[in-house]
Amino acid sequence: MIENARRAELPSQQNGQPAAHLSKLRINDSFIVGRDERILVTGSTGFIGSRVVERLLERGFRNLICFIRPSSDLNRIEALRKSQPSEVRIELFKGNLLRPADCELACRDVRIIFHLAAGTGEKSFPDAFMNSVVTTRNLLVASLRHARLQRIVLVSSFTVYTNRQKSRRLDESCPMEEHPELRGDAYCYAKVKQEQIVKDYGKSFGIPYVVVRPGSVYGAGSEVAGRVGIGTFGLFLHLGGSNAIPFTHVENCAEAISLAGLVKGVDGEIFNVVDDDLPSSRQFLRQYKKNVRRFKSVYVPHVVSHVLCHLWEKYSQWSKGQLPPAFNRSRWYVDWKKTRYSNEKLKLRLGWVQKVSTEEGLRRYFESCGQGEGYA
Amino acid sequence: MLKVAIVGCGKIADAHVSQIQRIQGCEIVGVCDREPLMAKQLYERFPVKECFTDLNALLNEARPDVVHITTPPESHFDVAELCLEHGCHVYVEKPFTLYADQAQRLLALAGEKGSKVTVGHNDQFSHAARRMRTLIGNGYLGGLPVHMESHYGYDLGDPSYARALLGDKQHWVRRLPGKLLQNVISHGIAKIAEFLTSEAPRVIACGFASSLLKSIDESEILDELRVVICEAQTTAYFTFSSQMRPSMHEFRIFGLKNGLVLDQDHEILIKLRGNKFKSYADKFIPPLLFAKQHFGNAIENMRLFLARDFHMDSGMKYLIESFYGSILRDSPVPIPYREILLTARIMDAIFDQLNSSCPQGDLVLQGHSFRRE
Repeated sequence: MIENARRAELPSQQNGQPAAHLSKLRINDSFIVGRDERILVTGSTGFIGSRVVERLLERGFRNLICFIRPSSDLNRIEALRKSQPSEVRIELFKGNLLRPADCELACRDVRIIFHLAAGTGEKSFPDAFMNSVVTTRNLLVASLRHARLQRIVLVSSFTVYTNRQKSRRLDESCPMEEHPELRGDAYCYAKVKQEQIVKDYGKSFGIPYVVVRPGSVYGAGSEVAGRVGIGTFGLFLHLGGSNAIPFTHVENCAEAISLAGLVKGVDGEIFNVVDDDLPSSRQFLRQYKKNVRRFKSVYVPHVVSHVLCHLWEKYSQWSKGQLPPAFNRSRWYVDWKKTRYSNEKLKLRLGWVQKVSTEEGLRRYFESCGQGEGYA
Repeated sequence: MLKVAIVGCGKIADAHVSQIQRIQGCEIVGVCDREPLMAKQLYERFPVKECFTDLNALLNEARPDVVHITTPPESHFDVAELCLEHGCHVYVEKPFTLYADQAQRLLALAGEKGSKVTVGHNDQFSHAARRMRTLIGNGYLGGLPVHMESHYGYDLGDPSYARALLGDKQHWVRRLPGKLLQNVISHGIAKIAEFLTSEAPRVIACGFASSLLKSIDESEILDELRVVICEAQTTAYFTFSSQMRPSMHEFRIFGLKNGLVLDQDHEILIKLRGNKFKSYADKFIPPLLFAKQHFGNAIENMRLFLARDFHMDSGMKYLIESFYGSILRDSPVPIPYREILLTARIMDAIFDQLNSSCPQGDLVLQGHSFRRE
């Protein structure tokens, strides 16, 4: 398997031209590092991170260091490690990214960092910030000390966009949230600041970086609900309607992230990651009910959801935070405004190809939901 | 205008700043954290004048009147001491200090410097807790308490959450003398301390690791604690549990005439009448009276919500406002120093007993170890 993987079947890109013609090049020709170079993956036991490690191994990279929390579930990564031939080195580095000394050790001789570890699902701004921004700064400082890094790939999110552009199309050129602190979403705040610090270090110290912004990453065990609607008091409020959900199957997302770290000539670029053939929120909900479980839902038209978000925002201000600003117009634009998503740049510059079709991805997802692994 | 500063820009600092913003007549002149990014994020998100990474610089340049100390507990004493030396009043997050003797030294220093001190036992200042205090002050119990029960639940969730929380063997919680317990039980202990009259009640503690923690091979942390506190005429039980359901925060106090139940989670205060009705009437009338009381609590909570006075941290706002008021008017502090010290002493006694012996899985009772079945 490793020998086969030495032949890079992966398209690449140079000088802004489509990359398909490079698909037969060997690793050393199309990628920025050779297969024995040291590659660090943070968040490597996570939902996406573990798949990124798999992609790298499939491509023949055989000197990986996986940064893991002491509390991480190691079953998946241990199984992966055991399945590799003896020449493949997967080092599990147990540590805390908040500790500079741990970062320093982990970054030694590292050529590429895939930085997926971040504070997720936290309601507290300081916690989300600390686990996303302070940790990223520690990695950047450690990399500077070793001066061997050729690229850091930051895995960000669609949440950083305002999505207030006139066009319904969302691509990499759309503006980022300038005042993420006003969105009332700790994750958004942390992600915007995390991107800022990577860009600042890139500008000030010349650290090459690539930012990857996945849409809604789904797969067995993932959560999908937000863009579709909100479950409340036993009733599901369907807010998405005919909006497309910016799905990317976890395998497709991992493929995009791995390419973003390897392909030459993309330093300083940003890539949105979404699949083709995106279902609308209504289609997804219908399929979910058909394949997983039935429940009551009520469609809330976009105009109404916009007004409700506006009212919630105003009440939150008027009551001085008696209700937190969980729903507001900024969130409405990001989650529920009618939007078209583009993956043109991903295909053109990285040669990304969707490995798991949306139809197959959703089939697998619903199947896993039926087995109690995922939920919407 | 009272000049306020925050030292330590983590999670709890957000709650402090949010509540301070709602109080008239004060401004936040500086925030400080050794991690510059953390100081900056708080500074950016709230109307704060300056941010610092050095405590001395904060004290000398921003010259605050009051400093809120929201750092991890290990540093409370040193930070508070420095702030008091600079003539500041200090609000220290719970637990006040690691040891009772540190608490005593800080309170003595505050006396010398003419500064005021309080501790973040804001649970005692929720709307329902204040109603309870008023009733007790008006003699509802019929004298000193005979018995109190304080339940403090702490939901560790499923094993994966517990593992994430406790997985870091170098976490600062592990360096506390009472570890996890020290960081969370002071709210529940302080409720009892408020109504004790002696300076050194007898304390009997029993602690052990739950089956949940054992299932993730946790050997250092205890998450189940039972305490009996006794003085001349009053006894109290304190229960801390990560496994008991519902995971509740409740305080019960019984006097010679009547009792009271304070449900902190739902902001409910229930009066327990000492008198009984005759015969079967005692089976029919009390349930209706309890229903009436619960209905009254619901109405009161809704009234407060509509009046925009029912924030999640309303107890903290009241405590901060009362503390600032005591500074401006030179009136008594909202939490008497005696109560701060007594809480610290009870906690010292608990941790002394828990740490005196205790291989994993043993019950610890008054310094003796008993193997669990």
